[in-house]
Amino acid sequence: MASGSERVVVVGVDDSTHSYHALETALDLFFTPFKSNPQFKLVVLHARLPATSVLGFAGPGTVDIIPLVEQDLDKTADLVKKKCTDVCSAKSVEITSLEVVEGDPRNIMLEAAERHHASVLVLGSHGYGAVKRVFLGSVSDYLAHHAHCSVMIVKKPKAKHASNDKH
Amino acid sequence: MSEDQAAAVKETSAVEKQPETTGAEAPTVTITKRMMVAIDESDSSFYALQWVIDHFSNLLMTTEAAEAEGGLLTVVHVQSPSHHFAAFPAGPGGATAVYASSSMIESVKKAQQEASAALLSRALQMCRAKQIRTETLVLEGEAKDMICQAVEQMHVDLLVVGSRGLGKIKRAFIGSVSDYCAHHANCPILIVKPPKEITT
Repeated sequence: MASGSERVVVVGVDDSTHSYHALETALDLFFTPFKSNPQFKLVVLHARLPATSVLGFAGPGTVDIIPLVEQDLDKTADLVKKKCTDVCSAKSVEITSLEVVEGDPRNIMLEAAERHHASVLVLGSHGYGAVKRVFLGSVSDYLAHHAHCSVMIVKKPKAKHASNDKH
Repeated sequence: MSEDQAAAVKETSAVEKQPETTGAEAPTVTITKRMMVAIDESDSSFYALQWVIDHFSNLLMTTEAAEAEGGLLTVVHVQSPSHHFAAFPAGPGGATAVYASSSMIESVKKAQQEASAALLSRALQMCRAKQIRTETLVLEGEAKDMICQAVEQMHVDLLVVGSRGLGKIKRAFIGSVSDYCAHHANCPILIVKPPKEITT
């Protein structure tokens, strides 16, 4: 186990409000209260989907669109990086490592958690694919089950109205 | 369905509500970060409690700096309902109904309460050792429902659960209560995994 000053928090972000909310929540819990005595290191990770997975259902003519999709994904990745940097500097938190890795977000997150010896993995829910009926996104669900380190799942920002009927 | 349980929450909610303070005064701390840890008899849940104590001490301690952060740790234990031991009418004639005697019910309840008290005092000792601002809570009912209800009613900011509870099924990577709460609790949830074991 890492020593006290080496504890790492890995936050996974995609380009969704839930992710940024998760990042802010992580900052509020792990970083802002410790300003004078930083106890954790922050790693922010964006899993950039490969173009082929995005185009899963496309028919003929796919080959032509791939470069455009790639470009779009790159733009998104840059946007995410910038936004995370902004969110963190607004709270005066230094990002130890901001990474963009291409591939399946589930494996990327697991691998990053191992690599950084993370104490905790933080994710928004409803990350990839807005499947409204599934209250917990599939990536966060997968990681809750399979990660070896602790997992914090941050749900959507508190809605004014809880009109959900769950049983 | 929820009416009874809501009543149960209010009735049993104050087994021991003692905010821990270092000094003689009881400071009025505005609670801005209420964390709730659910415990049962499993090691996993106590490991989760220890994890919270280790990682969030700056938020939760009874020092001035921490009090400014407004953290409070609520340790909750849910007792399974004791109505299982109520009357069991058996047989078509009705004459063969088996009733648990009231003294038996009493002793079961008493045993449950003692078990809860023991668990909570163990939890409190862990918190006191690190001067954590803590309160305890005992609820009665189905663990997963009661925990989610408590989260809503008490405006919990972070729910912390262990990953595996009393059902030690090795293939299940996360226990059913933790899984249910991950899906249904209205607040961020932190699932604490046990430390890496050599054997998987």
